[in-house]
Amino acid sequence: MSKKSLLRGALALTATATLLPALPALAQDGPRLQIGGTTYTKWLWGNLRDQGALYNFTTIPGEGYGDNGQGTELELLLNARLSSQVEIRGRIHSRFSQNFWTNFGGFGGDPNKPCVNGDCGEFDPRSNQYIKLRGMAVTLTPGYLVDSATIGANDFGQFDPFVIGRIRYIDRDNAHGILLQGSGFDRKITWDATRISLPRLWAGPSFSTGLFHASDAAYGFQTKWSLSEALDVGGIFNYVNDAEIAPPSVDNNIDDGRDLTPRFRNGVGGVKANLRVGDALDVRGALYHSYANADPVLSPANFGLNGFSPVPAGRREDQTYQVNVTLNDPLDIGLSVNLQGFSIGADYVAIMAARRESDVLLTEGHDGSFAFPDPSNSSFGVYKGNPTKIGYGGWTGETQQLATINVDNDFTDFDEPFAETAIGWKGFTVNPVYSNGALDLTGEYSFITYNTNWQAYDDDQTSYLKTPYPTAELDPGVGHNFRTAYQPFQDKRTHIAVVRGKYVVDVAKGIDVFGKVKFIHETDKRINEARFLPYQAGACSEDGLGCQDLRNEYAPGLSTADTFGNPGIVEVNGQRGYQWKPFTSLKDDDRLLRYSTFTLGAGYQLTDDLYASLSYTKYLADLFDGNTAFQAYSQHQMASGFHNKNSILVKAKYILAGVEFGLEGQYAFGTFEPDFGDGFLPTVADAQTAADHNVAVGSLGFRNRNGGWNSLETRDFQHYRMKAFMKAQF
Amino acid sequence: MKTRLASLPLAAALVGLPAAAAGKLTFKDPSGDDNGPGKYVYPTDTVYKKGTFDLTEVTVEKKGDNVEFTATLGANLEDPWKMGSGFSLQMVFIFIDKDGKAGSGHTEGLPGLNIQFAPDSAWEKVVLLSPQAAPRLKAEVGNKASALKDDVVVPSRTKGSGRKLTASVKASELGEGDPSQWGYQVVVQSNEGFPAGNDLMTRKVNEYEGQHRFGGGHDGECDPHVIDTLAGSAKGDASEVKAQHDMLKYECAEDGSTKSPATLTMIRQGK
Repeated sequence: MSKKSLLRGALALTATATLLPALPALAQDGPRLQIGGTTYTKWLWGNLRDQGALYNFTTIPGEGYGDNGQGTELELLLNARLSSQVEIRGRIHSRFSQNFWTNFGGFGGDPNKPCVNGDCGEFDPRSNQYIKLRGMAVTLTPGYLVDSATIGANDFGQFDPFVIGRIRYIDRDNAHGILLQGSGFDRKITWDATRISLPRLWAGPSFSTGLFHASDAAYGFQTKWSLSEALDVGGIFNYVNDAEIAPPSVDNNIDDGRDLTPRFRNGVGGVKANLRVGDALDVRGALYHSYANADPVLSPANFGLNGFSPVPAGRREDQTYQVNVTLNDPLDIGLSVNLQGFSIGADYVAIMAARRESDVLLTEGHDGSFAFPDPSNSSFGVYKGNPTKIGYGGWTGETQQLATINVDNDFTDFDEPFAETAIGWKGFTVNPVYSNGALDLTGEYSFITYNTNWQAYDDDQTSYLKTPYPTAELDPGVGHNFRTAYQPFQDKRTHIAVVRGKYVVDVAKGIDVFGKVKFIHETDKRINEARFLPYQAGACSEDGLGCQDLRNEYAPGLSTADTFGNPGIVEVNGQRGYQWKPFTSLKDDDRLLRYSTFTLGAGYQLTDDLYASLSYTKYLADLFDGNTAFQAYSQHQMASGFHNKNSILVKAKYILAGVEFGLEGQYAFGTFEPDFGDGFLPTVADAQTAADHNVAVGSLGFRNRNGGWNSLETRDFQHYRMKAFMKAQF
Repeated sequence: MKTRLASLPLAAALVGLPAAAAGKLTFKDPSGDDNGPGKYVYPTDTVYKKGTFDLTEVTVEKKGDNVEFTATLGANLEDPWKMGSGFSLQMVFIFIDKDGKAGSGHTEGLPGLNIQFAPDSAWEKVVLLSPQAAPRLKAEVGNKASALKDDVVVPSRTKGSGRKLTASVKASELGEGDPSQWGYQVVVQSNEGFPAGNDLMTRKVNEYEGQHRFGGGHDGECDPHVIDTLAGSAKGDASEVKAQHDMLKYECAEDGSTKSPATLTMIRQGK
């Protein structure tokens, strides 16, 4: 610690002891308040005709999805330095939500109505142009004991996305806590310690921290030691405590105050090392171990077959590791290679890990363009009256992988990155990068298998219907669900290959020509042992005239027949057959995805201020998703079949002296040819079915076991949408 | 590894730099000197990885009607803020002294860098390598450095790939002369989309580092906001670390104003 710091510390202590006399001295430093800000106006326009909110995707109940409307946000950025040791910052920010221009200032509305389309006016804060306090924090740099102390809001991006990630919920700095940072040995050792108030909105079992939340917190500590120019090592630890007031059965004497009892605890520790072997080789490794205990008394003990929770139930313990090797142009020809090996444990739990905006794996992963794959343009698309979601267009941005099932894509637009869970993933990625003059090429090959490959959750003595693993929307469709890490039966492999290129054609100001080719080959055999088949061999007659209820038990009293019911008999035009194919073979639930995308586009600086690009992407997704799977997991349309999707994308950016305009417009069109295999008798839609599901009378389909209608007709889709914005900084 | 490298004196002699090979200038800078005047440290957010601002090499090459600038850094470039150019974090200033005459050109640095140039190293042009869109950068230059804007060259595109930032500009934008005969000085900073005060899209250096602020400097504006720069004879040897620290020495007055600013000098081929 420098003499100057010691002197400053002594002065500060003196000032604290004699506060009033010190005030004039502070005043001499002159607190300087700086006010800046931005105003952001967004226009959405699409043919889904939704106006639930000014976001393309949110799962907030009562708020919903929107692809139409205009709204404006204001953000005031405040910063003041009271002295060289004290700084205050904060933001005052309005929110979009249902803050449409058509609200005309937010008056009127009916407080008794469900406020789902911005029609509650001033009675509901989501539609009355409300202002919120954001990012308020005081930072102290006393010059002794610690380098700095930040009290208040933070995004905690100083830590580690595997343990305490950049914490976002709508805004990036909604988390609050105390952050102490220090150093020693000429800053060769640094450390950070924090107490973060646990977000009660999602940071516990079932997306809750219980009724008593005020003392719930995450405690974190990390340190890094630079041993030499070539080597540094680090460690991180995080402990999360979600407590509840102890019930009378535990605390029978409240005269001495009321006791607390844990609801959820989570400890994560990690060690990391970075080694630079010359300029041409970097090696980085990290190993994490987690322990979690979601008390089955105060939180769910199991989740059934379709449970929602950011953490599994009960006691969990697992490891995660990652090794990265970078070969930096070893041949001096402009070719570098990145390699990564990784394994994220099936039971790895870090409730404070990053839930979006931090990509923890090198691979591109899956593709956001078929997230929520709904050829019917409906959420959980096979049921009457279900609302629409992001639609056939999906997300167009990058895909990010996260070490949590607590993934958050809420409050996003279709041009933003899409996040998916990587819990349970293990494998490797090879990523060559080549640059030579006007040409840039990058490639990827990834092989991914899964720590979640198991049968009956790897516990054949317990009913899979009482699983501690939240399965959310399970794993159907082309892109599968972004939070899905767990299925009761899984035997999955994924291959991903990508080549991207960009070349600047030396014409006029230079034309940017870019392209991408991506292939995904993914198989999932799901049930791969005959003992897990639901019915005994021969239970269903091959002539399609009925099944006997001959349950097959894989353990006493346990059978997958609890889920995979036998089909009924339907009669169509005098012909009798099965309503859906009986589950009689291990192949009946296999999944095979052959996915490819091809992009070609060009961009040009049209004027000094305007850049525009136009691109075309062809998506071919050939999915065979098990013609019995739909009856097991029919909360989603399985979208088994062939997708031929095309997307034309226009992007433009116009910057005029501090004001930035952006535009992204997309027209997606294509066909979907359902293929649910054979072994069943398609049904003809009657007038009521046609009316309920927007299909033609007489078209072919079938009803799944929950009564949803799966059309078997080839479908044509046209989907356009646009997002434009204006952002002014002042 | 150092021993192995030292065992290759022939190779080292062959790449003895700066040197002009077929019109290409190459300037080397030692690794591990990404600490400005000696004590600067990176911001604490995890996006700032070791070597992110560590300049290791700069090349200048005339290619037809264009001049291509390449800056190599000590870590793989990343684009965590999805700016689209292959990098988000760095901003590199390449100052050019075309005539080498004392009193000819600008001795003041650009706003926010808090540096000046020695009279015999006054610059005539500066090229900005930034992930920001060129119109935004030009607008910022117009607003914050209007007196210098005619001499600030913003490439229409700057790309990041591997560890290299590359931009090509029309030779005519740099004016007459032979680029291989010019003097150069290169300053590495961090791109900042929401710069404070009069900073030209660069990040602050304070006494203590913050999540997105460098530390080890001064809370006033007297310290150079420079994380790495060329120094000495730009051959990349260890002595250039001290030369950089000496060149970036500064002195602050009690009120945080500049008493003695960091003064940079140009690097010239063979000098």
